[in-house]
Amino acid sequence: MLIKVPELSENQSLYCPGCHSHQFTLYKNALVHCVAYSLCALILFALANSFPFLTFEAQGQSRVITVAQAANDLIEQEFFFLASLVYAFVLILPLLYLVCLLSLTMSLLAGIKVHSPILIGRTISFFYPWIMAEVFIVGVLVALIKVISMADIVFGFAFWAYIGFVVFLLLTANIASRHQLWQWVDDARH
Amino acid sequence: MQDTNISEQSTHDSSLNEKNSEYSHYTAAHQNLASCRTCHLVSNIDLVYCPRCEDRLYFRNPYSLQRTLALVVTAILFYIPANIFPIMTTTMLSDASPSTILSGVILFIEHGSYFVAFVIFTASILIPITKMMVLLWLCITTYRHTKLSQKDLSRIYQITEFIGKWSMIDIFVVAILVALVHITGIMVIEPGMASRAFAVVVILTMLAAQQFDIRLIWDKQNKHD
Repeated sequence: MLIKVPELSENQSLYCPGCHSHQFTLYKNALVHCVAYSLCALILFALANSFPFLTFEAQGQSRVITVAQAANDLIEQEFFFLASLVYAFVLILPLLYLVCLLSLTMSLLAGIKVHSPILIGRTISFFYPWIMAEVFIVGVLVALIKVISMADIVFGFAFWAYIGFVVFLLLTANIASRHQLWQWVDDARH
Repeated sequence: MQDTNISEQSTHDSSLNEKNSEYSHYTAAHQNLASCRTCHLVSNIDLVYCPRCEDRLYFRNPYSLQRTLALVVTAILFYIPANIFPIMTTTMLSDASPSTILSGVILFIEHGSYFVAFVIFTASILIPITKMMVLLWLCITTYRHTKLSQKDLSRIYQITEFIGKWSMIDIFVVAILVALVHITGIMVIEPGMASRAFAVVVILTMLAAQQFDIRLIWDKQNKHD
């Protein structure tokens, strides 16, 4: 259905008059909020990777793992395909998304000319559906329910940092919708 | 090289222009406008490339149905080994017990954790199967009549696309368990063959959903109006 997009004021959402599906919301100070949220997410991501994630204690033995350990142990078992998937979906792609988005939004905020904004926009659009940080959190919780009866589980600092990271990542993605993202790319080109 | 390329595009465009009367009067395609598949900017199809993101413009993505069908069929084939082989093997005091996706769910029900059983059942069995069936069915409905409206079909597709990645839960559960549960000499968990097959299923169904062009739903409805 072809319609002319009406002028939206701040915090208004656009719904398709034909199928009533939500198209996008224009947030107030979207650029500043997006930079703030994605910076928070990036800091929490750094913390989540530098502290122990979970500790497993049973039979007098204890095992401390980090987030990356979930993938590293798969490499040890020679499951390279699964290990690369975990690395990509949980660590590399979210990081790539944040870095790309930040390089675009921060340059816009500072008024610096962005180097190849179209490439940034297309990278984000291409990889965004493959970010699975929030799915990973649910996976971790299900795994914990499985083992909680046979051992003591201690939540590390990185566990809470990773949850915070996911929250800010989702807040960022909510603001930087496809419409908003490409508008920024357009702004960066002119 | 470049010349042949341009002539190819122009013949392609002219063939599309002739078809424009097929699209219903309220669609953009009727006015020779196409929505970009990457950035959703609507522009004239004669530009060939989107002026904003430089992706190729199409009224309908080429071979969308064929690609979706091929990926879904491959996913269905991979779903068979994903259920037959063990997804992980728990070795407790040199006593190895392999477990499949379904036996994991049954184990949780026996232990009385109905909620976790429900989560795993939904993520690993219900979502992949429904998703593959829905995608097959959407491919069929693009040239068959259904009672469902265009609105419902679009909604079904959007839900299918959204829930796709949540099937990955099981893979992450296996990854975390393998890393975490490691009591030397007493208990070790090893990943199984099915985890590879299941990861492939999830990726293939996600790709299949991405390849399906939602605009095909609009065409079909307009023909039957």
